[in-house]
Amino acid sequence: MIRIGFGKPLLVALLLLLPVVLDSYTVHVAILIMLFAIVAVGLSLVMGFGGQVNLAQAAFFGTGAYVSALLSTTYGWNPWFSAPVAVLATCGVALAVAVPALRVQSHYLGIVSLGLAVAFSSLLSNSDLTGGASGISKIPPLVFPGLDLSGPRDYYYLVAIALILVVGFALFIANTTLGRRFKAMRDDVLAAAASGIEIRYYRLMAFLLAGLVGGVAGVLYAHNARYVSPDTFGLGVMFLLLAMVIIGGQDSIWGAVVGAVLLIMARNLLTGVQTYQQLVYGGLIVATVVFAPRGLAGAAADLRRRFDLPWLSIPIPWKARALSPGPTRLKVMRPSPAGVALRVDSVSKRFKGLQALDGVSLEASAGEIHGVIGPNGSGKTTLFNVISGIYRPNGGRVFVWGRDVSGERSFRMSRLGVARTFQNLRLFRQLTVLENVMVALDRDPAYAHIHYLIAPWIVVRNERERRARALRLLQDFDLHEVADELAVNLSYGRQRRLEIARALAAEPTILLLDEPAAGLNAAEQEGLKAMIRKIRDAGVTVIVIEHNMNLVMNVCERLTVFGHGKVIAAGTPREVAADPIVIEAYLGQDASESEAAL
Amino acid sequence: MTYVLQTLVGGLGMGAVYALVAMGFSIVYRTMGLVNFAHADVVMIGAFLAATLFVTMHLPFAVAITLAVLLTAVIGLGMERILRPLESKDLNLMLIGTIGFGIMLQSVAIVVWGSFGIAVPTPIPNVPIDVGGIIVTTYQLFVLAVSGIVMLLLYLFLDRTKLGTAMQSAAMDRSAATAMGVNVATSNAIAFAIGSAIAAVAGALVGPLLYVNPTLGVYVGIKGFAAAILGGFGSIPGAIVGGLIFGLIEAFASGPLSAYSELLTFVVFALAMMVRQTGIFGERTVDRA
Repeated sequence: MIRIGFGKPLLVALLLLLPVVLDSYTVHVAILIMLFAIVAVGLSLVMGFGGQVNLAQAAFFGTGAYVSALLSTTYGWNPWFSAPVAVLATCGVALAVAVPALRVQSHYLGIVSLGLAVAFSSLLSNSDLTGGASGISKIPPLVFPGLDLSGPRDYYYLVAIALILVVGFALFIANTTLGRRFKAMRDDVLAAAASGIEIRYYRLMAFLLAGLVGGVAGVLYAHNARYVSPDTFGLGVMFLLLAMVIIGGQDSIWGAVVGAVLLIMARNLLTGVQTYQQLVYGGLIVATVVFAPRGLAGAAADLRRRFDLPWLSIPIPWKARALSPGPTRLKVMRPSPAGVALRVDSVSKRFKGLQALDGVSLEASAGEIHGVIGPNGSGKTTLFNVISGIYRPNGGRVFVWGRDVSGERSFRMSRLGVARTFQNLRLFRQLTVLENVMVALDRDPAYAHIHYLIAPWIVVRNERERRARALRLLQDFDLHEVADELAVNLSYGRQRRLEIARALAAEPTILLLDEPAAGLNAAEQEGLKAMIRKIRDAGVTVIVIEHNMNLVMNVCERLTVFGHGKVIAAGTPREVAADPIVIEAYLGQDASESEAAL
Repeated sequence: MTYVLQTLVGGLGMGAVYALVAMGFSIVYRTMGLVNFAHADVVMIGAFLAATLFVTMHLPFAVAITLAVLLTAVIGLGMERILRPLESKDLNLMLIGTIGFGIMLQSVAIVVWGSFGIAVPTPIPNVPIDVGGIIVTTYQLFVLAVSGIVMLLLYLFLDRTKLGTAMQSAAMDRSAATAMGVNVATSNAIAFAIGSAIAAVAGALVGPLLYVNPTLGVYVGIKGFAAAILGGFGSIPGAIVGGLIFGLIEAFASGPLSAYSELLTFVVFALAMMVRQTGIFGERTVDRA
């Protein structure tokens, strides 16, 4: 739930009362703190939640400030018109910076965004339009009847309201579907796409949000300071923002706010020794990543967990407690059509000089448990990657329920009813067990996020319903007791089970399991067999890659055998086991030993 | 035509420096898959150290550059040691850690040397030579020669020595390399030390070309970094080609468009990145998935 509790109204009250007790200089500092908090929240959304290394946040801040400043001075616009235009312009700049993010990630994105930030600074200080190094002065104040927005006290309230709105909106995003999709994309981009998330939209959206709040803060800054210069938005400020977000805790909105408060206060204390400021920020960043990687928010969460201090709450969004057990979900899968579920027709995939798949064909009928076996490196996982849209085939076609889906992308395949698990476990590690399942349960298309703006109650209602369904699914997998645990903290066996639960949450008609038995003990393997049968009985066609012969022979109804990227045999387990080609190619020369193994 | 050739030659000196900076990034990336964002500021520290030893303490240039190289290598070792706990856990966090170090180095430079900087004379008499109407200075040739030697040495080290090969194996598969008796931590430390040492060479060489000040790293370092990516991260020939390309772009853009030269450079770079993510020579990837 979005719990309001006591804390937030208290904070808001405190925020609104502050100017009564503070002198005007301190009010001025408080305005600066709030503006930086807004910008830092934007950085936290794009970097902490979205996982997009964005070193251009200070440039977004600057774009908002400069555009509004220019329009309201040189072009003589009324600030109330220049302000929204400046915010829109900043959103445009943010989208432009996001375009490289569609192709490049991590350090590449870091350097591209840093490069653009440097270019922005150099443009500001060299261009005549922006007044060069001396900047733009005599920016008109915002005028509102009855308020004195040229003085700090009334302006404080304007900024405070902006801060409350931004933080409230950011918290709402962070704790609901959009924030969860951001974090899923951050933790594992392949698994997120395979869960139906269209990655490029979310990368653009993360930058757009960062630009939006950056622009708002920039505009508010320009019409308060009434003067802008390149230094205010340079690399030093970028690093300051980075320090705020890292120290506060990357994926915590409150963390970004706390980081802004601490660092601006520290900066004010250190004004006499300006050169040491940066040394302090840098040192704090290094110390935080080494000793407390999740920042103050993470440290607070640990403390709370250890000593059970509810007031130190960094809220876990969707508490699993207090839910009455409902009917199990596995029975109510969407009914699959009859006929051929999956048909792979002479698919080829080539990597530089290596023919990983060479004219592979395979057919699985509705409701079948189909095994794919073969030695390591024979192309089994490559086939799964082609079917699930991670790789594009170089030749051949893939049909799902008779529909040609060759070359469709990963998120589309998920939406077409094909779900998969990964051989080497790709859970959303920093999401809870419940959230992992909720990501996949969430079938809303990206444009449904418009509800955040026009009908937030629909977001809340959908969340509540999804949470209930997710918990029921977790009960089927006997994971409900660890629903609030982070996925990374689960035992190996439970992580494997969660992978399957997450795949099923997407309500597939076809489920691809990649070595589900790897690393499981005997008892867990028995459980897995029963689970696979139960999934099939619920109407899902299951294709399973497995080395474990006991499982393959007992559970699968048909088998396809791979060798060196080709299908070398197909048939029922009994037929395949008797096939001399299989025995020779797959199990080795010594036939008698092989028969014993089967 | 003469103008084009002249600009081309003029861009070569800075291009060689960018190539050296790019190689420093590349060697760390090639061995541990980490992008060292502090590298740019190590270049700046190297430039200051060499300038101080050469100008203020009147040491011979060769001695100054050697001492600067040793000192920055020690800085590199220190950074690697502090960030080591993150090495096997989260490279993105480690990347942010190196940004933190970069910020610290910059402020250390301001504390020690002040924010104004030092003008460095060329270590050899800087005489213009006329080659068929195009002017080349002796210092430009000197920069090219020293850069060439360093690049050759690095290449020989990585591809012809046992230690160099071992370091690259550590990058490809950490656990397999460990099983084969390669000490991954030592290998990473050496990579950081060598990367920082090359940074000092680049810094020392760039001193007489530019003005040595605390923001030197931002401009030289980021272009070197972009050069490394453009050439294909981790590839030594890629670093050289990428560096030269950036030197040339800069030389051509600094004429009539100087206010927009940085913008132009990075927009071209961003576009190039989107067309071919792995750079001209392809990335020497470290896949840790």
